[in-house]
Amino acid sequence: MRNRPSRQSQPICRARRFCALALLVAVQGRTEVTVTSPGLAPSRMDDRGGLVEDWGTLSVTVSGAGLPATAPVMVQGIRLDDRIPAAQAQSKQGPIALTLTAFRAPVWPAGLDVLTVRLAETAGQETPVQLSLALPEATRLGLKTVSFGGRPVLGLPAGVAVSQATREWGWADDALALPGWATPAVECDPAFRNIRAGMGGVPILYRFKVDPKAKANVVLGFCESFWAQAGQRPVICQVEGAPPQEVDPVARWGQHRPGALLFAASDANGDGMLEVAVLPKPGAADQNPILNAIWLFPAETLLNLDQVIAGKLNAVASRYVQVGGANDQSLAAGGRVEYALTLPARATRELTFLVACPGSSVPQPDQMTWTLEKLRQSAAAVWRDWR
Amino acid sequence: MSIDEKVREAAEAITRINGARGSVQSLSSTPGDFHLAIGAALAGNVAMKAITPVPASLPKPMQTPHACCGCLSRRQCLKLISTAAAGLAFSGELFPALARSRKADPDYVDPTRLRPRPRICLDAAILQQPRPYWLGWPGTTYNLDQRQKEYRALLAGSCQRLGIELHEEDKPIETESEFASFLKSVGERKPDGVVVILQHMNCWGWANRLANEAGVPLIVFAPIGTSFTGHVAAISRRTGVYVVSSLEWPAVEEGLRMVRAKRMFEETRVLWIKGQDRNETVLDRLGTKVRAIPRNTFNELFDKMPENEEVRDVASTFRRHAKRVVEPTWQDSLNSARTYTTAKRLMTDEQANAISMDCLGMVSAKVLPTPPCGAWTMFQDMGVTCGCEADLFGATSLMLTSYLLDRPGYMNDPVAETVKNLLIAAHCVSGSRIAGFNQKPAPYILRSHSESGLGVSVQVLWPVGAVVSLIRFQNPNELIIDTGTVVRNIDTPPAGGCRTSVEIKMDNVEDCRDVLGFHQVVTLGNHRRIVEDFCQLYGIKVIHSPEHTARANAA
Repeated sequence: MRNRPSRQSQPICRARRFCALALLVAVQGRTEVTVTSPGLAPSRMDDRGGLVEDWGTLSVTVSGAGLPATAPVMVQGIRLDDRIPAAQAQSKQGPIALTLTAFRAPVWPAGLDVLTVRLAETAGQETPVQLSLALPEATRLGLKTVSFGGRPVLGLPAGVAVSQATREWGWADDALALPGWATPAVECDPAFRNIRAGMGGVPILYRFKVDPKAKANVVLGFCESFWAQAGQRPVICQVEGAPPQEVDPVARWGQHRPGALLFAASDANGDGMLEVAVLPKPGAADQNPILNAIWLFPAETLLNLDQVIAGKLNAVASRYVQVGGANDQSLAAGGRVEYALTLPARATRELTFLVACPGSSVPQPDQMTWTLEKLRQSAAAVWRDWR
Repeated sequence: MSIDEKVREAAEAITRINGARGSVQSLSSTPGDFHLAIGAALAGNVAMKAITPVPASLPKPMQTPHACCGCLSRRQCLKLISTAAAGLAFSGELFPALARSRKADPDYVDPTRLRPRPRICLDAAILQQPRPYWLGWPGTTYNLDQRQKEYRALLAGSCQRLGIELHEEDKPIETESEFASFLKSVGERKPDGVVVILQHMNCWGWANRLANEAGVPLIVFAPIGTSFTGHVAAISRRTGVYVVSSLEWPAVEEGLRMVRAKRMFEETRVLWIKGQDRNETVLDRLGTKVRAIPRNTFNELFDKMPENEEVRDVASTFRRHAKRVVEPTWQDSLNSARTYTTAKRLMTDEQANAISMDCLGMVSAKVLPTPPCGAWTMFQDMGVTCGCEADLFGATSLMLTSYLLDRPGYMNDPVAETVKNLLIAAHCVSGSRIAGFNQKPAPYILRSHSESGLGVSVQVLWPVGAVVSLIRFQNPNELIIDTGTVVRNIDTPPAGGCRTSVEIKMDNVEDCRDVLGFHQVVTLGNHRRIVEDFCQLYGIKVIHSPEHTARANAA
């Protein structure tokens, strides 16, 4: 028969138990947790709450006036819906409680990690915060996704605008750069060898900083090297302040023939940014718009398009972009996604990000039907039946 | 005479022929018993037919009594059991009964359990305006009570046929508050679809609100007299909506079939047998689970599968029903039947409903003595998708014809016949019940797999002059559909390629070289409308081959 501890020793026992529990929590709090789905290569959440993928690490931080710069992070493994293994990182920076939860959704073919960022205001007063996602420097922010070397690695939540500072000009889309894709059959500017392509129908979108309400001549350059017949890839060009123009490059100039369109543009909305977009023509057989080159010239410049195509007016252009080529750049600097949020008193806010895991890419948000609910249901179903 | 009556009569006749004790009625105290009786009776019939030459390699069955059905001899009982599987491909609606009758064999895998049977929930309501009706369509002469009674009965019948659980509003909805309550109920219940039957032209606003707010697929039935073109023009083209402005109830039932097909996709786990990986993922939009398993799993299990009575009878039946047997030997047929039992066992072990396998790779590596073509044909005829070459979206395309159209098809390698400007659709697997799982099969010739010269494949002879549809999921978001007419079946030789080889004159495609896709599934009938409507209901983009333009010689 086991002896009960004496009345004097009970507090010691309790203290020991408390220490053991605290140690356990501490150990759990400094551990790494893997995130996976049956048979798929795992990712991990590191002991600081960073999600470590095959393309780099995604870390989430919160900053703001009066908030401490750092806070201890407790990382632990949990189960969602009593079934789905997940990693969770919790920290508290002043009045803001930050909870990151990541699980692997078994999205065909290679899965996607789903990261939910939950911010909760706990002090009872409205608090403005800056939520920052730190990413590898080579990542580029698009309209709805972030790409890394052409691979979409992060899907951004809909309905929340990013807030970070932008460059003077650059692309702000989810199109793909394809250097050397085109093979112009005549002497022309080297920009005609490269394209950006809006695979799956995504628009190609550039923004250029200009003086508010400024006018400019914009020239867009095209060289179609895939289709030989007309009618396959007509595109619609929208340049701010100018009437849109539809062009079928093969019909107008022929396959492998460079061509250019001139637009009398202006910053019509006065926001100090001139917007240039190329979209697929609805109903066209090929819904992947392309664009080879952009020139911005002062409004008063008299232009000979043949000379523009030949590259002889590059020096007088205020902007010359080899779209998808050597001098191209994204509008936002790489390596970071930022959101300026205001949390009302006692309010919570959740943002869900889709994250590419080993071997996968993030689909364009408007080309998929996944919702957080469906992703969790799928994960639960797979774990339920897996043997 | 109903099918059931025909079946009962046939069963009685067969039972009399077999001399089995007891009448059908005495065996049929429950519906299940009745099916058992039919199965037993039919199996006896097949056993009698099987007196026709059977290879000498077949061992004689034991003559000891068997407990599974006392009214039959051991021999008859074994025949019953072993013929059941083979019978699946040839017995139409009877195959479930036949399969059930095999329960006595502990190793037997009931193939009828492989086809997904999802729970399907549908909410429905009749939308009307407060009575009495006066001017304004459908008008005062429209007999609301009679029409509503008819439509309720039709809806109930359709749901019963399709195995759909119907949650129907007891009374027609005619006020804003009743509609709001219905909308709320739909939001809470989250059914797989909603059907509304419009009984007044002024109800379109509610239909539009359902389309905007319900968040589930919407089927709108607007009997003639409840709409003008302006009412349907926009909503009928919306994603997530299927509008029937007609008096044709079968079109509404097609909408229910679409909901059922989607649920079947969601309920399906397809085994993707290839490479070395073992994992499970889920297809976007369709919701189908894809379980990748190493390719060797199949051939290793094949090596363990016995050459038992079931195998012998599957092989025998498959040969017996062929119009001709050209290359396959008896041993080839046995091997082919073992791929059938192997696939059944594997699907059961993995809780799967379909297969997409790297069959060519296995034949190339010589790990199987036969490609699975013959077995795949049998599965296709049962509504169980088994696809070739680990082409996952070829398999999902086969699922679409199976789940939506209740008929098999075949995924094909498309060939341009440039002299006659025809498309040749060729492969070594084709379902034979091309007119529907419950219809008579098309004649077929047993051949070897063309490229390897091994095993058992089929040349299904497609009806010349028949209209066919070519369907192909490019991915879960995009589907190609074209139609054409069968011109002739091509023999191999003189042609090379694949055994089932059909020349098709394409509709609306000027040049046969422009037909889009590869491994498109050829299926009998013009299904363009229902497939397009299915795609609209679930947000799948539809593509057709170009009518006039030619593709470039591009990169």
